[in-house]
Amino acid sequence: MPVNKRRHANAVPIASFATWIVIALFTAAGGLGYVWCKNQLHTTGGRIKALEREYSDLRNKNEVARAHIAQLSSTKSLQDRFDSGFIKLVKITDDRIVNVPNKPGLDASNELRAVSNPGGRK
Amino acid sequence: MKTTARSRALVTCFGLAGVFTLFSFRLIQVQVAQADEFTSEAAAKHVDKQIIHARRGAIQDAHGEALAQNEPVKTVVADASLIKDRDAFAALVAGVLEVPEAVINGKLSRMTKSKVTGKLEPSRYIVLKKDVPETTATQLSLLVAQSKTQGVVSNLEAIRFEQDFIRVYPNGSLLCHVLGFTNGESMGMDGVERSMEQYLRGENGFRFIERDRIGREIVPYRGQQRDARNGCNVRLTIDMGLQNIVEQELQAVVKQYRPKSATVILMRPQTGEILAMATRPNFDLNKQSGVPEENRRNRAITDILEPGSTFKIVTTAAALSERVVRADTMIFCENGYWDWCKLKDHHPYSDLSVADVLMRSSNIGTAKLAAQLGDQRFYEYTRKFGFGERTGVALPGEVSGILHPPHLWSKISITRIPMGQEVAATPLQVVAAMAAIANGGRLLMPQIVSEIVDDDGVTVARFPAQEVRRVASQKACDAVRDALVRVVSKTGTAQLAAVPGYDIAGKTGTAQKYDEKGKVTHDKYVVSFVGYMPAHDPAFVALVILDEARAKPGENYGGLVAAPVFAKIGDRAARYLGLKPTRIELPDGKTLAVDASKLRDR
Repeated sequence: MPVNKRRHANAVPIASFATWIVIALFTAAGGLGYVWCKNQLHTTGGRIKALEREYSDLRNKNEVARAHIAQLSSTKSLQDRFDSGFIKLVKITDDRIVNVPNKPGLDASNELRAVSNPGGRK
Repeated sequence: MKTTARSRALVTCFGLAGVFTLFSFRLIQVQVAQADEFTSEAAAKHVDKQIIHARRGAIQDAHGEALAQNEPVKTVVADASLIKDRDAFAALVAGVLEVPEAVINGKLSRMTKSKVTGKLEPSRYIVLKKDVPETTATQLSLLVAQSKTQGVVSNLEAIRFEQDFIRVYPNGSLLCHVLGFTNGESMGMDGVERSMEQYLRGENGFRFIERDRIGREIVPYRGQQRDARNGCNVRLTIDMGLQNIVEQELQAVVKQYRPKSATVILMRPQTGEILAMATRPNFDLNKQSGVPEENRRNRAITDILEPGSTFKIVTTAAALSERVVRADTMIFCENGYWDWCKLKDHHPYSDLSVADVLMRSSNIGTAKLAAQLGDQRFYEYTRKFGFGERTGVALPGEVSGILHPPHLWSKISITRIPMGQEVAATPLQVVAAMAAIANGGRLLMPQIVSEIVDDDGVTVARFPAQEVRRVASQKACDAVRDALVRVVSKTGTAQLAAVPGYDIAGKTGTAQKYDEKGKVTHDKYVVSFVGYMPAHDPAFVALVILDEARAKPGENYGGLVAAPVFAKIGDRAARYLGLKPTRIELPDGKTLAVDASKLRDR
């Protein structure tokens, strides 16, 4: 076979190869992309789960704190503290209370008016 | 036989075709014929329905103070298949959970039959302890994380914490009978917890999740989800300031007289709102184990007692409302003994006005008022005042009391019922009847719940004042009130109920109890006082009732035992509510009335 013919017979089909290489690259990229997306989904899922847990923990802590506050500010608790002398409140005697028979209507000047309680000064 | 390349190729092709055909058949069998079976098997192994817990609504008083609420706790669950060293694990968690090591070990050694393989394997769901506080759970999870490095567990999923809630009552025993309690499944069993169950109970949500081989949730594969709907908050009409006053004074009188039971109720007569309700014996809502059933009963609505002389207000109001008499009509009281019906008065009276009959609590005078009304008319009035029927208060277990119709009466029933015998009523019925007198003749349904508010603060339902019926005329009620004010005067039977600075209207009651044989006892009494203040513009009606108070002989009367409790409660309540005095005590012992109409700017 002549040399020039042989050269033509074993010619590398670059165009065809290039097509397949591009297809393979796209497929590989698609595959990698798919795996990356899947991985992202799982990573995000893990983060969602962690955030959900954190939110739940915070909410629970908040609820526990609220229950504790309610316990400490309950009528019974305050009464107990009052009885033990922790809250130093003194009962106001009757001679220290001023009863105003009629609600004073606020006049235009909106002035505060003094009241006297001679009994309370004893 | 000579084989050629062609024949070898053919055999290989047929062989491969056969193998692939077999594979295809198997594939079709697995994917189509047995698809459902395998899908459910896989789902049983990996898919889980996760419950999203709803919170039960809170109960609050009229000012928003929390009376019942939830506290988050955890249920500690172990997966024995992920525990490598069982003894070390038991030793680790026993101390934190405060459970004996042997108990933990026993639980961990439990085996269960696998649904997939059918073989016995370590249980994957072992409840180690319930109601574990949040702080303990956090501590435990840190310990387990450390133990993984030491090789005690193969995975952190060896221990899980499931969310749960327990019901806590910040005020302990205060208002225990009204609030009620829940069972282990957070279901209301008594009190408001039960009657308002439909509002308080939330609706759990759910979420379908998939788990991986070691039990971790695969978040991207979450399936159908429905969010939880939290329960609504219930706001009561109870004012904890008043409730505290009532509880303290009730406790003091119980300590003094050691009665079998005692009840105090405060009600706003214009609306029927119950401001305070306390009963003894009581119990601590946070420590319920071992509490006798007797202590759990709300005697204000479940116990019936003869009202005694407090019932005379009904008889007098009926007679005045029907105009068979006027307040100044004179009644002959038989000088203390009415022979035909063998009825006695404590003191002999001849002629008394109707007002005086009530003031002096004359049995004979009251019986004559009822006799003038007649059986049927008197019966209708007692029914109108709410006796013999439930009040309709939103609390479970209320009874209707006993009031027989006239055809079941004996000849002397018309002389006994008017003074509160042969009739049985709950304390709440007595308060409601007195509230009707106080508000001018309207019987109101007692209200314990003010409103229902959802999780976002939106009002779902309100419970406004509900008039059941008009029971007496305004004029009759005014006349009864004037007589009742005299009851609490220095000449009346309840002078110990007086509150300095205020006009009080009230009536005492002393009823003898019956023994098991149905005979009247002479040492067991039900003593009571029911009244309202200020008399002309009442802020509240109060009932104090003691069953079998151990007072000294001759002192076991409503006016001596129950009336002073009313006075103490009235004094403190007036101060708490900021009521302005209705009269001024002068140094010479006289009183100066203050125009009540000018004091309505409360």
